[in-house]
Formats: sequence, C-alpha cells, structure tokens
Amino acid sequence: MTTFDTTAKLLAERLEVDIDVIQPETKLESLGADSLTIMELIFDLEEEFKISLGDERPNLVTVQDIVNHIDKYIKLAAEQHA
Amino acid sequence: MERVVITGLGAISALGIGADKNFEQAYSGKSGIDYLKLSFNRKIENCVAAQINFQLPELLKRAELSLFDRFAMLGWIAANEAVRQSGITQESAFLDSSGVFWGTGVGGAQTLENAYADLFIEGKSQVRPLSIIACMNNSPAAQIAMKCGFGGTVNTYSSACVSSAQAIGEAYRHIRHGYARRILAGGSEALLTFGIVTAWESMRVLAKADPAHPEQSCQPFAANRSGLVLGEAGAAVMLESLSSAQQRGATILAELAGYGSSNDATHMTNPNPAGQARAMEMALSSSGLARSDIGYINAHGAGTPAGDLTETDSIKRVFGYHANNLMISSTKAVHGHALGAAAALEFVLTVQALRSSSIPPTAFLAEPDPMCDLDYVALQGRSNQHITAAMSNSFAFGGSNAALIVKEFNG
Repeated sequence: MTTFDTTAKLLAERLEVDIDVIQPETKLESLGADSLTIMELIFDLEEEFKISLGDERPNLVTVQDIVNHIDKYIKLAAEQHA
Repeated sequence: MERVVITGLGAISALGIGADKNFEQAYSGKSGIDYLKLSFNRKIENCVAAQINFQLPELLKRAELSLFDRFAMLGWIAANEAVRQSGITQESAFLDSSGVFWGTGVGGAQTLENAYADLFIEGKSQVRPLSIIACMNNSPAAQIAMKCGFGGTVNTYSSACVSSAQAIGEAYRHIRHGYARRILAGGSEALLTFGIVTAWESMRVLAKADPAHPEQSCQPFAANRSGLVLGEAGAAVMLESLSSAQQRGATILAELAGYGSSNDATHMTNPNPAGQARAMEMALSSSGLARSDIGYINAHGAGTPAGDLTETDSIKRVFGYHANNLMISSTKAVHGHALGAAAALEFVLTVQALRSSSIPPTAFLAEPDPMCDLDYVALQGRSNQHITAAMSNSFAFGGSNAALIVKEFNG
C-alpha cells in the first residue's frame, strides 16, 4: 500500500466517507475533517509507518499535503536506518 | 423569582437505557450488579460493580469517538434523551440563554488509563493526541452544549458523590435568579478501570461480594451491609423556567422546588449528621414546603456502615416525628454508586416515583439494621402511594452534602 492508499483508507474509515471520493487534491475540510480529526489521523499514520513526526506543525490542506508530510518522515527514517 | 420545572428526563446505567427502563428496573428491584470485568486482562478478585455490559446506543459519528471518553458518551446518551423529551431543538429560540450544568467525580478515567498503559506498559513515548480533550472533567458539558447549541452558561461541578446534585441544584438557582431560561443538568461517571477501582478497594469501603447472589451485594440499611458497590451511569434533567416552558407549550413533568447544599467541615470521610441536616433544612426552606409535605426520600444510602446510620440520624433531626411517616429507599442496591452521576440518576428516579405514585424499594433489605429504624421500603416497591413532594439526598467524601426537592406541578 502506498502512503496515499493508507491515508485514504484511514480517512474513509474515520470520516465514514466512500474511499473513492478521496483523491490527492481533495481538501480535508470538504471531507468533514477538522484540525482535531487530522491530529488523530496523523497519530494513526505515525503508528502505521512506525515513524515519529516530532513537534512539527505543518499546515495541511489537502490529502496530498498529509501524504507529502508522512513521506518526508518515512524517507528520513529510512536514511537514519541505513 | 422564577419557578423551575422539569421538561425532560434521561438515564443510562447498569439497569438499562432510558429513564423509563431505569425506573422499571429499580421499582421491581432488579439489580444491575455483577462481578466486575476489566480491560487489559486485569482482574480484581471478588469485586462486584454496577457495570454497563450492553452495547451503548450509537449516537456518535466514528470521527467523534476519539473526542469522547466513556463518561462523556454516557453523558450525551442521557442528555440527548432529556432534551429530546423536552422538545427543544437546535432551531428553538433562546439557545443563548440555555446552558449545561454537569457533574462528574473522576472524569475521563478510561482515557487516562489507556494513556498510562501506552506509556508505562507499552513503552510508547506519546499518547493519543486528543487524550486531554477526552478526559478533562468539563468534556461532557462542552460536548452537550455543542450538540444542543446551548450558548449560555456551561458549568462543571466536581465534588465526588454530590457532583450532579450540585449541578442540578446550582442550575435551579441559576434559573430562579434569571441567569438562564433553561439548563440541561445532570452528571456522568465511568470509573470502572483497574486503577480507579483498585484505589477504591484500598480504602476498604467497597462491599464484599455475595458469592451466592453477587447481584445482591449492595445492601443499604441492612444489618450485614459491608460497603458500597461502584457503578457507572449518566443521567440528566431538562430544567426550565416556568415561563419558558409555558411559552413554548412544553409538557411539564414536575417542579424542582428546592435545593440545599452544605459541608460537614469536620472530616474528609466520616459523615456528620449536623452537616447533612443543614443541606436538607436548606432545601426545605428554599422550597417553602412543610416537612410533612415530603412523602418520600431517595436516600444517599450507599451501604456503608457509618453512612447509613448517619443518614438515619440526620433525617430524624430534620423531620422529627414525621420521619416515621416517610418512605425512604436507597436504589443504590440495584444501580450501585455511580459517584458523580449518582445524584442525577437518583433524582430522575425520584421524579418518576412522584409522577407514578410508585415508590422503588430498598432491594434485598431482608434483615434491617436495628439502628436504622425508619421505613426503608424493604424488598418490595409500593404502588398507589400518592405523594406531593419528594427529596433526594446525596453526600460525599470531602464532607459535601446536597438535597433536592421535587414536587407535583400544579400550575
């Protein structure tokens, strides 16, 4: 599963929306996700990918923003591991 | 000053879902108490509790679940029932002068326990990000206010076992003095976690399990009573000024006629009859009723040796000879002691007793303590008992006492 697939799956489950409506450019607000929902989602993604995002507080507007944010830390973790 | 009326009731406890179901079970002496089941594969030997072991109504969206500790869920279930019965909606007028007054003793125990388990057992370095929002004591009040659109005063009271009596009583004062038109008042508690129950157990105040009949382990006013049985619950009343209820043509269930509050100021745990009497006297005084107008008292009656004796004494002090005419019962025998929710749950049952002329019993009171020598409505409920007013008592660790009086609404 790609980061996008995992993100879309968790968003669909949490927000009870059809996974097919979730596209990279979809705005989180349009899915009914507020700042607290996104905090929870990020936490679940950290556990899923076994990464820690630390105290960074980026402005996440679209689904792709989350994917980029997570991918950055997956890459960082891989580099550290290597 | 405004009169205060009740236009909605809500309850969930080990007795079931809904105010009516709770009253039916209490009236018929059916107990919700059984051996405690805990998370994390933990066990406390011979520990009984009034635990909600059935599926909760699904009132929340999945995205909301992480915002709600169990005590807030129980709160919203009860509050939703009360507000629906009242007929008030998000489209109703005067939402900005409508508030929520809520009580809880412990707050979000399960969220906190889960966080500690993550840190201390799982060795994680962080906990779920909404843990604070979920476990803070004012979480149910805030969630209820948001869901109802009530933009007036929203207060939370945390005074152990009188928390929700103070919430209802202070709401009564708030409406009487014109600070709000309506207040959804009540309390909720969900403290049956390994840590919290173990802490209670350590105080040596919990009832010993009756091995033959675990459901009968809580025996208020009985000679062989051995302590209280913890429970979880949510309960709520929709309170309104009489003018508010009449303007919108609401069905008025009863009148909240009096409230008294005091503190023993003597000891953290030992009850004091003078302190308890002060709360009852204050409630009577604010109601304008005579002692003889009270026909029933839903006692605090937690089932502790000292507590039940002291309450018997304090009732005699306040009511004098009329104490012998009173019907008194402790419904904790069946729904346990739901701490911050206890007073609201018992007040809901008291309102229903008044409305149905049916007095719930002190279940399982086969052998009364000779020192507890009033009429505790032992074993069986009594029907066709018309009463004009009833009192609900609640007393707490920390010395807090509260009494609420409900009376028939006669226009």
